Amino acid sequence: MSTNQTETQSQPISNAIRELLEEGLTGALATLMDSPKAESNEARVGAKLLVKESGDKVGSLGNDELDSVVTQHSLAFLRARDDAKTFRVVEFAPQLEQFSGALVLFERIEAEPRLVIAGAGHVGASLARLAALVGYRVTLIDDRAEFVARELFASPHEQSIELIAAKSWSNALRAAIGSGRGVSVAIVTRGHKQDEDCLQAAIDSNPDYIGMIGSKRRTNFVLDKLREEGADEDRLKRVRAPIGLDIGAVSPEEVALAILAEIVAERRRGSGAPLSAWRRDLRRETANR
Amino acid sequence: MSTIAQHDLYRLIGEANGRGERVVVATVAHTRGSTPQRRGAKMLFFENGKTAGTVGGGCVEAEVWAEAREAMRSGQPALHHFSLTADEASEEGMVCGGTMDILIDVWEK
Repeated sequence: MSTNQTETQSQPISNAIRELLEEGLTGALATLMDSPKAESNEARVGAKLLVKESGDKVGSLGNDELDSVVTQHSLAFLRARDDAKTFRVVEFAPQLEQFSGALVLFERIEAEPRLVIAGAGHVGASLARLAALVGYRVTLIDDRAEFVARELFASPHEQSIELIAAKSWSNALRAAIGSGRGVSVAIVTRGHKQDEDCLQAAIDSNPDYIGMIGSKRRTNFVLDKLREEGADEDRLKRVRAPIGLDIGAVSPEEVALAILAEIVAERRRGSGAPLSAWRRDLRRETANR
Repeated sequence: MSTIAQHDLYRLIGEANGRGERVVVATVAHTRGSTPQRRGAKMLFFENGKTAGTVGGGCVEAEVWAEAREAMRSGQPALHHFSLTADEASEEGMVCGGTMDILIDVWEK
């Protein structure tokens, strides 16, 4: 098999990407977009290298040294949390002079984020609809079958919402959370007994984010109870309770927006502060002068 | 549906490649100014003329289609630069301006 053939075969890459997504893992796909060696079989435009978060790779850009520096940079790219970004090789591996002008597209490969919602009341149902619109794969759980009936979530963009009528909150939650990677959990049930069961199950499954609705008093009560029962203190501390950002939400839809804003901010490492804060700080400084 | 989940995207590519068909994949690699799509947005072109996803609506779509047809014929991937000047954009009644680098790539078995 010639080098040329190896580089233009994309099926091993697409198979590896599909496996990665199914396993809930993350990786970077590097594609050569411009190459100083465009005329040769080495490092052709369109050559691809998939780098998994573990550092394992599939495919090749057609040169071992180039693969090695691109693998290193892929891991840095993943840490920066961009969806897609282009770099000249000289920007991350100036020592590799023969490829310094090569242009590489890095793309983040990651399953769409998931949101598991415990409780399909007004807030839970609104949150499910809003999160589906924003691109989350949503699972909505309730122990009252009539609250998770398909007729309530029948429009085209609601079809993707997975509805679960649960006999046991904790079993349903554990099954829905799975490995916990890329999963956010919002606990918005109707009572603190249900909250307690759900929070216990969520803490055991260790997803990326857990939030629980309720007053300071009600959430303290539930957290203290789990603490007494020996729940992991570090995991308890990470629970967002009361759930959501302070946007002054009143209606269930507004509360859902406040919750989703916090979940997006957590995933994208946003601060939740107004983007214009710098401008007002500046004005205050000017006024004080 | 304008955007397409990665899971569906690579399934569609894998299935078409599995049938021995070529898939042209347009990816927004870089943008400057006000553009209609984010970096990483993709549009797939299949041999039967069907498409999936989008790289940004009317502003660049005609040009991207033309380049994609050429790549489907030649099998050669290439990076293309598209500029959406304010004039062009306003003539088309679009809100976009700025420039987009789009990789027109070829995936095959």
